[in-house]
Amino acid sequence: MHKKNIIKILFYIAITLLSLFFVFPMLWMIVSSFKIDEHIYRDIGTVFAFLPRMEDMTIKPYIELLSMYNIFKNMGNSLMYASLTVVFGLMVNSLAGYALAKFNFPFKDGVLLLIIALMIVPVEATILPLYMVVFRIKLINTIAGYLLPFVANVMNIFLFRQYFLSFPEELSEAARIDGLGHFKLFYKIVFPISKPIYVTIGIITFLASWNDFLWPVMALSNSDLMPVQVALNAIFSDTYNIFTSHTMAALTLVTLPVVVLYMFFQRQIVEGVARSGIK
Amino acid sequence: MELTKKKSKYSLKESLTAYIFLLPALMLAFTFIILPIFSAFVNGFTDYYLLKPDEKIFIGIDNFIRMASDTLLLRTFKNTLYFVLLVVPLQLGMALILALIVNKKIKFNGYYRMAYFAPAVLSLVVISILWSVLLNPSSGLANQILMSVGIPRQKFLTSTTQAMPTIVVISAWSGCGYQMLIFLAGLKNIENSLYEAAEIDGANSWKKFLHITIPSLRPVTMFLIITTTIQAFKLIVQPMVMTGGGPDYSTMTILQYIYEYGFRHRNVGYVSAITLVFTLFLVIVSILIKKVLKEE
Repeated sequence: MHKKNIIKILFYIAITLLSLFFVFPMLWMIVSSFKIDEHIYRDIGTVFAFLPRMEDMTIKPYIELLSMYNIFKNMGNSLMYASLTVVFGLMVNSLAGYALAKFNFPFKDGVLLLIIALMIVPVEATILPLYMVVFRIKLINTIAGYLLPFVANVMNIFLFRQYFLSFPEELSEAARIDGLGHFKLFYKIVFPISKPIYVTIGIITFLASWNDFLWPVMALSNSDLMPVQVALNAIFSDTYNIFTSHTMAALTLVTLPVVVLYMFFQRQIVEGVARSGIK
Repeated sequence: MELTKKKSKYSLKESLTAYIFLLPALMLAFTFIILPIFSAFVNGFTDYYLLKPDEKIFIGIDNFIRMASDTLLLRTFKNTLYFVLLVVPLQLGMALILALIVNKKIKFNGYYRMAYFAPAVLSLVVISILWSVLLNPSSGLANQILMSVGIPRQKFLTSTTQAMPTIVVISAWSGCGYQMLIFLAGLKNIENSLYEAAEIDGANSWKKFLHITIPSLRPVTMFLIITTTIQAFKLIVQPMVMTGGGPDYSTMTILQYIYEYGFRHRNVGYVSAITLVFTLFLVIVSILIKKVLKEE
């Protein structure tokens, strides 16, 4: 009995230490963003590296960061890019998925096979030829050139198809009797009752776009159009930025919207990840 | 006769609607997925240099021969392979252990699950910058912690031998939270009656784990091995932000080579050929893993 308790306590100590390994960097990032650099390095060997001391807390790093870099502009850019990708992506991919699930048409099997075959193409691997195509159609450094390549997503088309396959045939029969056309049926009946899949795929698309780095580095060199992850890297490697607290403030600001999204859509995100297996 | 048969199979209106529904997706997929692959095929057999597009000439398989003796390219392939072979077992092993922990009936389960998942909300760029600061050899927190428990200062990302292993650990740290949740979903799907039956037969926890848990997680594990492996082969953001591929090219990956020499140095012809080989390689790897894991 006694031995069992000791093992239990040791187990809890072990899993707690393990949990600290996963949270301490983020904790340090947030706490350090509210301190001046002197205090960050004074506290670094103590527990106060992770715990805010009321008397030292300051929003100076944020004020100074925002006076040096217009990071809200970059966040606004990213918000716009992510929203546009979500809206157009959901439209384009769900329509295609619906057609493959519910309509009969010539070459249906061929189109489906093409979609599945394209799923195996490793997207980032072909990033240079993609750049070349966008370059050729003169869309480098334009919002369209940055966004259009990732609107159609074969994985999402496939997920939508799988979802719509489970819809009962009676639904479309009933709609046909009521005189609804295919388009009306889609946006008046199919779309409203499929909200869960739209939310799941929408959130995953949003996060992927918000976190995007490599493609905007290549496709958008104009600093007015720069999305937030590229801006972060620019701030980090800027030789004028010598303050750790400024960097931590920038990282915290950029992470905040993602944390809020997770708070509201945790279940959908987990489901989306489990379905598509990204990250 | 044939014609009328076909006509009766499809309704014209339905077929037309279907293609209207499909048109935007097919047009975009053609332009941005199929056309790039086609362009890589065309350019891969030329000496296309972006700044001198008029001097582009067909050079046959020269680019492919050049790859075999390109020591930097081979080095980036070795680096990438090294990363994949370390990160896949480490990350999935960690994910499985974490899933087993939070699957137990422990106190504060919600806290542990949230804590283990926490790094997953950070973007790769945020992770890379944060760890670069933490791992700074002179002022970083990591060395402070190590020294407080009596371990000497480490060079981490500034050492040719430590940099890649460091990136491996950071990548596993940041990615295993998601996979913990996927494993957890797999664990919850295992029928409790299986464990009960085994208990009646007198099986201990280890035997139950070995003969029930592991085999039941097979499909999930297979899915995770394939997706993690392919993802790992495409490593680029962490070395790009943390080391720039250095020190002395020790962390430069294939994708980073493609970025540096194709995009920044504009050697489109040669790097298109590399892209073709790399893409084909990834496709073969994912098919091979599927085959091997299925046969076992």
